Amino acid sequence: MGMLVLNRLSQTVLVVLVAALVSFTLIRYVGDPVNNMVGQSATLADRAAMRQQLGLDDPVLVQFARFLNDAAHGDLGISYRYAQQVSALLKERLPATLELSVCAMLIAVLLGVPLGVWTALHRGSVVSQVLLAGSLMGIALPTFVIGIIFILIFSVWLGWLPAFGRGAVVDIGGGWTTGLLTASGIKALILPSLTLGLFQMTLIMRLVRAEMLEVMRTDFIKFARARGLANVIVNYDHALRNTLVPVITIIGLQFGNIFAFSIIVETVFQWPGLGLLVIQAIQFSDVPLLAAYLVLIALCFALINLAVDLLYSAIDPRVRRGGAAGPKTA
Amino acid sequence: MSEEVAAPRWRDSDLVHDFVHSPVAIVSVAVTLILLVVGAGASFVAPYDVINPAVANVIDARLPPGAEGLAGQHYWLGTDPQGRDMLSAIIFGLRMSLLVGLSSVALAAVVGIALGLVSGYFGGLADAVIMRIADVQLSFPAILIALMIDGITRTLMNRDLHERLAIPVLIFAISASFWVQYARVVRGIVLVERGKEYVLAAKVTGVATPRIIASHLLPNALGPVLVIATINLALAILTESTLSFLGVGVPPTQPSLGSLIRIGNEFLFSGNWWISMIPAAVLVLLSLAVNLVGDWLRDALNPKLSTA
Repeated sequence: MGMLVLNRLSQTVLVVLVAALVSFTLIRYVGDPVNNMVGQSATLADRAAMRQQLGLDDPVLVQFARFLNDAAHGDLGISYRYAQQVSALLKERLPATLELSVCAMLIAVLLGVPLGVWTALHRGSVVSQVLLAGSLMGIALPTFVIGIIFILIFSVWLGWLPAFGRGAVVDIGGGWTTGLLTASGIKALILPSLTLGLFQMTLIMRLVRAEMLEVMRTDFIKFARARGLANVIVNYDHALRNTLVPVITIIGLQFGNIFAFSIIVETVFQWPGLGLLVIQAIQFSDVPLLAAYLVLIALCFALINLAVDLLYSAIDPRVRRGGAAGPKTA
Repeated sequence: MSEEVAAPRWRDSDLVHDFVHSPVAIVSVAVTLILLVVGAGASFVAPYDVINPAVANVIDARLPPGAEGLAGQHYWLGTDPQGRDMLSAIIFGLRMSLLVGLSSVALAAVVGIALGLVSGYFGGLADAVIMRIADVQLSFPAILIALMIDGITRTLMNRDLHERLAIPVLIFAISASFWVQYARVVRGIVLVERGKEYVLAAKVTGVATPRIIASHLLPNALGPVLVIATINLALAILTESTLSFLGVGVPPTQPSLGSLIRIGNEFLFSGNWWISMIPAAVLVLLSLAVNLVGDWLRDALNPKLSTA
């Protein structure tokens, strides 16, 4: 167990360092930072002085260490396009993305798990077949197409829900703005989180169904039935509990997926979150922003995977002993 | 004892039998082939040339499907905001999606298989390094990897270099996110096969290592690789259209299903739904067909499901 943790921890640190290195290379070597800061009429002597002042003449390792130090203290540079601190920009947009992601995850789990259990227990029924065919569409339809179809139906034709933006937001202190406290905010949240959660919901539904079917085939379930236990107890108390163990860890990993797909949904619905920020950064070659985002996602994903690994080894004793079973990373 | 038994014809194989008896497989393979042929022959099939900006007539912009243009052109699927025929744009966009999809899958497969063979056969440090990189990469979603690689290489290039290199960069970015599956599967197969007698016999009789790998180990991996490649193709096509929709994929001068959908997105509220929805329908059809072929292939080639 200790070895596993150490292993994963060192891997996490390595990934973040590599991402930081790529970031640093981007910022330092793409374009000339001095050119971006002084005017055209600056003399060579001025430029040399500025170079010295910015510390651009120091050895590369020293600059990298300084970059890491700054990043650790929250100074991630200044965005070319917005002319603001990158960290301030990220902090400003983070609540929007988090709210969207959490809502989508809730929809995916609260709908996906029951539907998966139901289709497993009622195999072959017409409703099950319809749901499974529908889930195939959910996988074949790209997220942005789902979003556009929703906009078409609910905004253009029916006019029930807004198609873009976040509605009215309320600042609840600490820089956190939330749309959950206003009616227009909640209305604006429905379509994006539904779009984002639909794909994950079909995945979770299929996963829960597959796991449940496998568990139902095991011997201990047969013996439970043979002992005369009621169907309800067999299905939910025994089968479902065992199903949920790998499902929980997969759900944890899917949170990272939701974060990635939120970029698409934010672009479709013009949701002012981190995803839209990075797309604009790419389109306008806003290098500091892009580099900071790279380090941010490397850190996020490495931490998510570390947490999921630790969780899984805590739940499943076979993994702790280095046994045959391990997390099924799909 | 001296009776000659004819070699089994491929027509009698399990795979063909499975195919002939599965309507889903027949329909999805047929649809995929039709779309492939239409896309490949885009220059011949499309009624109007979409790449040449001189052909488009802005007066004919945003006409509904079935409308007549000013100079008597018949627009089966309507026109886009610049007056380009939607049917032709979709056909050329289909060609682009198939080109990028097939290329990135081919590249990912070649690199992945090679790394998997090396990793499985030689083991040791190469194996450890390759598998560690693969593990790390698997913790990130494919679309994010493709987006980041594409985005970062964009910022490194200036405008006209970018125009010329956009598509190769896109292909590289997408294949970089897919190679891991091939490597892992091939490595698993090699690890199983290399302990078997025929491989040991080949080694002992002095067959050169590359020959062992190519003639003995590689053919065993081709079945599962084909299944992965088909499912990957659907994903690659979707990834390309997603990146084009986001504006960071194919350059705007080239038609792509994703960028057509993006252009049409702005006109949804004006009631011009066809600019967005028809390319979307074609994209979904293609992705669904390829997905179904991949699913069928996986079930047909799965030895555990065979009744034998």
